Amino acid sequence: MTDQTTAVRAGTPHRRARGGPHRGGTGGRVPSGFAMHGRFRHAYLTPAVLFVAVLIYLPFLWTAYLSLTSYDGLGSPKFTGLDNYRRLFQDEALLTSVRNTLLWVAGTTILPVGLGLLVAVLSYNIKGGAWYRLPFLVPYAMSGAGLGLIWGFILQPDGMANQVLSFLGMPGGHTEFLQDGPRNTLAMIVVWAWQQLGVNMLLFVVGLQSIPRAPIEAARIDGASGWQLFRHVIWPLMRPLTTVVFGLALVASLKTFDIVWVMTQGGPGRTSETLAVTMYRQVFVADEYGYGSAIAVALTTVTGLASYVYLRHQLAREGS
Amino acid sequence: MRRAVLIVLGLVWLFPTYLIVANAVRPAGDYDPSDAVKPPGSIGLFDNISEAWSRTDVGATLGSTAIYSLVAPALAVLFGALAGYAIVVLRVRFGFLWFIVIFAGTVVPFQMLLVPLFVGYSKVSLYDNQMGLVLVHTAISVPLAALVMRNFFGSVAVSIFEAARLDGASTFRIFWRIYLPLSSAALAAVFILEFTYVWNDLLFGLTLAQSDNVRPVWAELSALTTDVYAGTPVPVALAAGLVVSLPTVVLFLATQRLFTRGLTLAQF
Repeated sequence: MTDQTTAVRAGTPHRRARGGPHRGGTGGRVPSGFAMHGRFRHAYLTPAVLFVAVLIYLPFLWTAYLSLTSYDGLGSPKFTGLDNYRRLFQDEALLTSVRNTLLWVAGTTILPVGLGLLVAVLSYNIKGGAWYRLPFLVPYAMSGAGLGLIWGFILQPDGMANQVLSFLGMPGGHTEFLQDGPRNTLAMIVVWAWQQLGVNMLLFVVGLQSIPRAPIEAARIDGASGWQLFRHVIWPLMRPLTTVVFGLALVASLKTFDIVWVMTQGGPGRTSETLAVTMYRQVFVADEYGYGSAIAVALTTVTGLASYVYLRHQLAREGS
Repeated sequence: MRRAVLIVLGLVWLFPTYLIVANAVRPAGDYDPSDAVKPPGSIGLFDNISEAWSRTDVGATLGSTAIYSLVAPALAVLFGALAGYAIVVLRVRFGFLWFIVIFAGTVVPFQMLLVPLFVGYSKVSLYDNQMGLVLVHTAISVPLAALVMRNFFGSVAVSIFEAARLDGASTFRIFWRIYLPLSSAALAAVFILEFTYVWNDLLFGLTLAQSDNVRPVWAELSALTTDVYAGTPVPVALAAGLVVSLPTVVLFLATQRLFTRGLTLAQF
């Protein structure tokens, strides 16, 4: 009896075959997993699993191991236990980079997300809303590196930004935006906000368009409007979406690298390094693979913890 | 009131865009930071672009960047679709667990991969090799592809698969002739998203390549802000930045509708 005839004669709903071969059967008349789904179905998983395992999980574990060693890329790693982690807590440069990373987290979750929400709400339900949103979408087309490249020139001491300030008669026409910390980090956060507002706004617009009309109309009839309507009706309805948007911004901000590397390389004098930049510098400039790996592990732990705590907090609030 | 706030904010947002475009168009010789706000007197954009091409190796790097951003997402989308098909349609054992194994790859920060990839690639001569960059970009693109394709295949009626199976088609034939064509919108959406990621990559380009024909374009252009290219006129750098951003912009604008449709279908 061939596979096909088994299937035809049994004619059992697909679901019954679930759970693999020889299950849910009445004396082998039911199409088995093999008959319906082929003998080598795990082979379809192989490329995806192989790529992820070899190029993501294996390096991940290797980095975790290297973080316990002293290694300069030559010879073999020497096991040193927790030495790298002890060093983490005494490293002055790392302290700066932690502070900068926190600034990035605060700045990029407040500025682009908050302003994105503001623009989305303001342009919601008014005539020609899409046109009002257009200016904010233009910068989004640029990559982090492209943004760094272009703004690096604008923010030079003799660059356009200072000329514009002088031109408008505003104070600060000779600001060295990128020369001192933490001003250089703040300047880069503003640049980042300029670019990222667009995508956050779009996500909020999609969210606003998909919230149900009925509660809003009901609240309107009850006399709610403006801020009240937003605060007590629209905002709670958008909660699941804001959770996602804030979460994405949070995780991305912890790993800020491209824009900083292109604009300042973390300098001058390591004043604008973020954790990701410090990690890169320790490995590829200072040849300290073990210590660099320890920073990567710390970064990963912080990112994981932050997402976990944030999601738990948010889910608990939604549940209540 | 709402309109006024929007207009003011919009103008503030447009101003840097104007500065960038005006000064990328301005002939390099005319550039003067104190006059940066003035519209350009004549069009020097194309001279600026060719100047950028001769000063840097953008030309050479664009070729390999195109290879990475076309091949890696294509492979990732195919592998993601195969995995989604195995999990949702073929119902492999522990399907959900396998899905988690694949998808959890997105949680790992790239910083965890850099040292092993750098050291490991050097050992197997994948360092400074186009193949090496294709492989790593494929790997990091697979999880998203698997997520979207799994969701998409879940929305396709099982009866299609059963009917084809009863007609004697092999599982691979059903995948290739029915499921892939059915999901072209979702495939395209994922492909475009991942094309943009790979095109804009800086980190792996900096770490895993050094020669001009392997290095991707942003790794090359990022050097414009360093001493290596000190003395590059500002308009030349701005023009280069704009031109290299163009492919992703055009792709997004041209396919925006397909993009939203593909992802809506995948309930992503």
